[in-house]
Amino acid sequence: MERYWQIEKVNLKYHIPLHILVSALLLLMSPFLIGVANLGAQDTAKALEMYVALIGIVLLPPVFLPEQNHDIRDLVYTKYLNGPAIYLVRILGNILLMAVLLGLYIGMLVYNECEFPVGKYFCGTLTEMLFLGGLGVFFYGLCDNLIIGYMAPIVYYIAAIGGGEKYMKMFYPFSMVRGSYGEKVWLALGAVILVIGGVWLRCRRKRRLVR
Amino acid sequence: MLGQLFVRECRQTARSLIFWLTVLILIFDFTTQLGEMEIDEEPQPGQESYGHRQSKDPDVIMRSTLGQLTEEYVRENYTTYPIGFYKNVTLNEENDARIGEILEETAGIAGRESAEQIMEEWYAARNEPGLAGDSLKVEPADGLTYEHFTELMDEADKILGGGSNYGKEYREKNAQVPMTYEDAVKEYDALIEEDRLTGGYARLFCDYMVIFLGILPVFLAVTRGLRDRRSMMQELIYTRKCSSLTVIVSRYLAMLVMLTLPVLILSLNPLLKCMSYAGKAGIAADTLAFVKYTFGWLFPTIMIVSALGMFLTELTDTAAAVLVQGAWWFIAVFGGVDRLSGGMYGWNPMPRHNTELNWQGFHDGFAQLAANRLLYTVAALLLVLLTVLIYSQKRKGRLHIRGKILANRKSKS
Repeated sequence: MERYWQIEKVNLKYHIPLHILVSALLLLMSPFLIGVANLGAQDTAKALEMYVALIGIVLLPPVFLPEQNHDIRDLVYTKYLNGPAIYLVRILGNILLMAVLLGLYIGMLVYNECEFPVGKYFCGTLTEMLFLGGLGVFFYGLCDNLIIGYMAPIVYYIAAIGGGEKYMKMFYPFSMVRGSYGEKVWLALGAVILVIGGVWLRCRRKRRLVR
Repeated sequence: MLGQLFVRECRQTARSLIFWLTVLILIFDFTTQLGEMEIDEEPQPGQESYGHRQSKDPDVIMRSTLGQLTEEYVRENYTTYPIGFYKNVTLNEENDARIGEILEETAGIAGRESAEQIMEEWYAARNEPGLAGDSLKVEPADGLTYEHFTELMDEADKILGGGSNYGKEYREKNAQVPMTYEDAVKEYDALIEEDRLTGGYARLFCDYMVIFLGILPVFLAVTRGLRDRRSMMQELIYTRKCSSLTVIVSRYLAMLVMLTLPVLILSLNPLLKCMSYAGKAGIAADTLAFVKYTFGWLFPTIMIVSALGMFLTELTDTAAAVLVQGAWWFIAVFGGVDRLSGGMYGWNPMPRHNTELNWQGFHDGFAQLAANRLLYTVAALLLVLLTVLIYSQKRKGRLHIRGKILANRKSKS
């Protein structure tokens, strides 16, 4: 356990602070860009699904970044600790961070007298964050390229805005706006598969490199 | 030397995964948005509706604005664009009461119940033939002057935090009146005579393509910027004889060419549709319209997004440009949602004109559009020059920000 905590401490200290800062800035800027007070359920869903969920793209895909440099990667791969364990600790840590940031934001919305089902919206938004981030993790793992890791969820988001409901069906990310939660179950399932798939692809690449 | 490097960069781009993903995304964008594009037929007398147009008559402006205020007052929810960005505002009791007073003073509607009744009557009337799609109009109160109306609307706008439908900029936009057959024919004639058919569709093509071109080039630029470092060739390239200007400009030109080519190829599809229609209808279509619009409308966007990507990547040696451009894209796209009909291009890096019609709007806003495109072209060139400067400094062993500052600080302590 101590070893895993050590991994997360290093992650928090060196790898993720900039991404936390960007996410926090994104959330702090929101009152200037979108309504955050006295909102009804539909408008709150819009703010959460179309704006707040974006921090999933910022926080999750960079989990492989510390080993992006080949020299560092070679060094890390000589260590005894299992590769997937390192990535999963980082991923879980980042998910926890996302949940905390989202929780704080939802707290602010409640304080500002927005009326919405808090629990459902929290879970729905976190699910979308995970799916957006999961897409990034998967494509980063697949292509070994952070830029593609960012590109995939951003393109998915833009396609969803541009009338994507017709094509995405159960993977449509903005379903809470029209009061539907069924899509979130699919997104959660998709997120789990994408994250696990991304880590597996990354580690598969590692083994090949070690050989 | 520049030519050789340019060709080499083009070849490298053509072998890049990001480039082909970009092409795929552009094809997806095109097929989903314009794949089933059909050419407008000439309006016929007796049609149920011919769409809407903007009026400048103060009476129409007052009726339309008060209609909007009544509707939003009933909904208790106001749409605003405080910094050109969509925002919903719900008022507290005190401000809500003041809006109610303003509505009473300007339209004689006392209280929310009266306003709801007007809305219900309007909903019922909408089902009558000829009124479908028409927005709510409310008669101004007796003796209300246009000057007093504007004062009160300015106050309402202030209460809502600015950028509302009641501010000076948006009041005229509210005054939408149904188009008559004559108006529709005039609009169609402008498409055929002024735009020569292809011009209108080239604008529509640009409107859809600019959404993705407002972000995709940054991925290519960042990938290219990081490639040398990733393959540990950076120092080797630094020692080459070739000037920094040649290296950066050749990369930039290759990026622009490789991003513009697929756009031009995609434009062949709507062009052929237009030419086929024009041939049958005897219209003298402009065959070069799509090329002109691609270079005039889309190219400056490709230029600025690529240049920003190159500049930030060279400066930081990270993928920060993706996040910066992502944020800019978000603000620009949502900032332009109220300007889709064209004519109000402002300084948006992704100007919108989501119709093949409205030539008049395009014509009236052309100077602004030209200034907009020129600004981003100049800004892009400046960013490229700055990138050259940073690159040449790095070649001299300076400005290696990544990891160096912290390392130095640690060693001094």
